[in-house]
Amino acid sequence: MATPGHLTIRNVSKTYSLPGRPLVNVLSRVNLDVEPGAFVTIVGPSGCGKSTLLRLIIGLDYDYKGEIELNDKRIVGTALSRGIVFQDHRLLPWLTLEQNIGLSLENSGWTRAEKDLAVREHIALVGLSGFEKAYPHELSGGMAQRAAIARGLASRPEILLLDEPLGALDALTRIHLQDEIQRIWEVEGVTMILVTHDVEEAVFLSNKVVVMAAKPGRIVETLDIDLPFPRDRADPAFVALKRRILTAMGEDGGKTATRAA
Amino acid sequence: MSHTSDTIEAAAVEAATVDLPAHAEAPGRRGLQLPNLTGFILPFIILVLWQTAATYKWIDPVFLPAPLTVVTAFWKMLTKQKLAFDFLASINIVGQAFIYGSAAALLLGIAAGLSRKVEEFFGPTFDTIRHIPGIAWLPLIVLWLGIGAPAKILVIAKSVFFPVFLNTLQGIRNVEKNYIELAKVLTLTRWQLIRKVILPAAMPSIMVSLRYAAGLAWALVVVAEGLSGLEGLGFLIFRAQGLLLTDQLLVCMVIIGLVGFAIDRSMFLAQKRVLKWKQGYDG
Ligand SMILES: Nc1ncnc2c1ncn2[C@@H]1O[C@H](COP(=O)(O)OP(=O)(O)OP(=O)(O)O)[C@@H](O)[C@H]1O
Ligand SMILES: [Mg+2]
Repeated sequence: MATPGHLTIRNVSKTYSLPGRPLVNVLSRVNLDVEPGAFVTIVGPSGCGKSTLLRLIIGLDYDYKGEIELNDKRIVGTALSRGIVFQDHRLLPWLTLEQNIGLSLENSGWTRAEKDLAVREHIALVGLSGFEKAYPHELSGGMAQRAAIARGLASRPEILLLDEPLGALDALTRIHLQDEIQRIWEVEGVTMILVTHDVEEAVFLSNKVVVMAAKPGRIVETLDIDLPFPRDRADPAFVALKRRILTAMGEDGGKTATRAA
Repeated sequence: MSHTSDTIEAAAVEAATVDLPAHAEAPGRRGLQLPNLTGFILPFIILVLWQTAATYKWIDPVFLPAPLTVVTAFWKMLTKQKLAFDFLASINIVGQAFIYGSAAALLLGIAAGLSRKVEEFFGPTFDTIRHIPGIAWLPLIVLWLGIGAPAKILVIAKSVFFPVFLNTLQGIRNVEKNYIELAKVLTLTRWQLIRKVILPAAMPSIMVSLRYAAGLAWALVVVAEGLSGLEGLGFLIFRAQGLLLTDQLLVCMVIIGLVGFAIDRSMFLAQKRVLKWKQGYDG
């Protein structure tokens, strides 16, 4: 079991400068505290800086103001203690499923046997046993996303970031994988941050939903979701929370989100 | 290197056109078990026409001997002359030239692909050398190394080098940025990045160029042997022309064609094996 990480984001601002254009405020004074083992979902209109925020947390981009700390230590660069699942599954097409997952353990410092065990366990965790030797092109979109989740978790990170991992899937597969993610989160006990356009997904999975707005990218509302797991999408309390988030996202954002859902 | 991409595409296109339609067996048809005979229809027609033309003396037998005469000539060359020796001489040159040329190209191509500095260092020189055809180098190299195999190996290796070098370089440069980012997230070292991400990603482009270069090398050995030296299939062809031994000339031509075909097929199979991870890959 991974040790869940405690993520603190304090006063983070980020600007992009494109030559010949004014500075873009992509993130402005973002504050967020993610408790160890929490499931936090970020929703917000396209372009409000959700992916940018994840890139800062994962350590791919360090050109920002403010502090991001994991377990009270400022994050520096990428590390196996922070995992990410991209929207495109980003499995390497020339590696089999088990090799793809094994790639995340190259520098784990574990023994061969420990690595093999972790790969096998995580393939089983996402329900892909039997496909160890399959190449990514032999997997369906949903299976590829599961594989990407397994890769993100295999090194037992303290926190896993998921950037619209289910965005490209059909509604049924998506609902099915939402159940899976819920189960995996409970089993692994890892802190998770999910970015999604799907408000129902946000309410279904999270302890906390963060609503962002664009121009400049900022947090406009934070809602705690206290419903017991597993959640019933038809429960009036569930529907009421959905409506509150849609309202917080504003008329525009609300419409986009309902259409996407 | 300004013309890099032109040449790559040209190489890729040429390599693709080398591929005859008979290659592309749709995976679905594999269950049929019958060997695909479509590709044999045309050679058969040509053979029949050839025999007919010879039988009815449409063309003077001095210029077009009958197929059977050619077969007899083949047997004579094999048993009474040293066809096998000449054949192996050609194969030896092509084999060595291909190995040296592509090994050097892979090494330098990878180095240049990974480092702009290396590319800038070699770029202008290579771009100039590249535009002097291998065969144009032969007279000078023969003056240096003599008419034996080494001069030909060097010249053909040069012709093998450039398509492979350019495609390796380009293949490495075209690796998706997303994959590099993933490698960073997985904390791969530079060496792991090269071995697990960059080289496999460049492999399709490299394999195309290797296949093209192998065919090119075989075609060039005939020219090189015709221009200098006293052995090899190319030498036999030009000698046969001088002595008006049309049957021997045809023997050599058929052998050259068949070997070229075999080389391309084996390279295609190698390519398919190496790239078995590619979806619907058909060469
Ligand atoms: N490399 C970059 N250079 C300049 N601007 C960028 C760069 N990357 C992102 N941006 C800008 O930053 C803003 C936020 O982008 P980001 O990808 O974080 O949005 P997002 O909230 O993830 O959107 P979506 O929901 O569509 O994925 C956008 O306006 C985008 O144009
Ligand atoms: Mg995004």
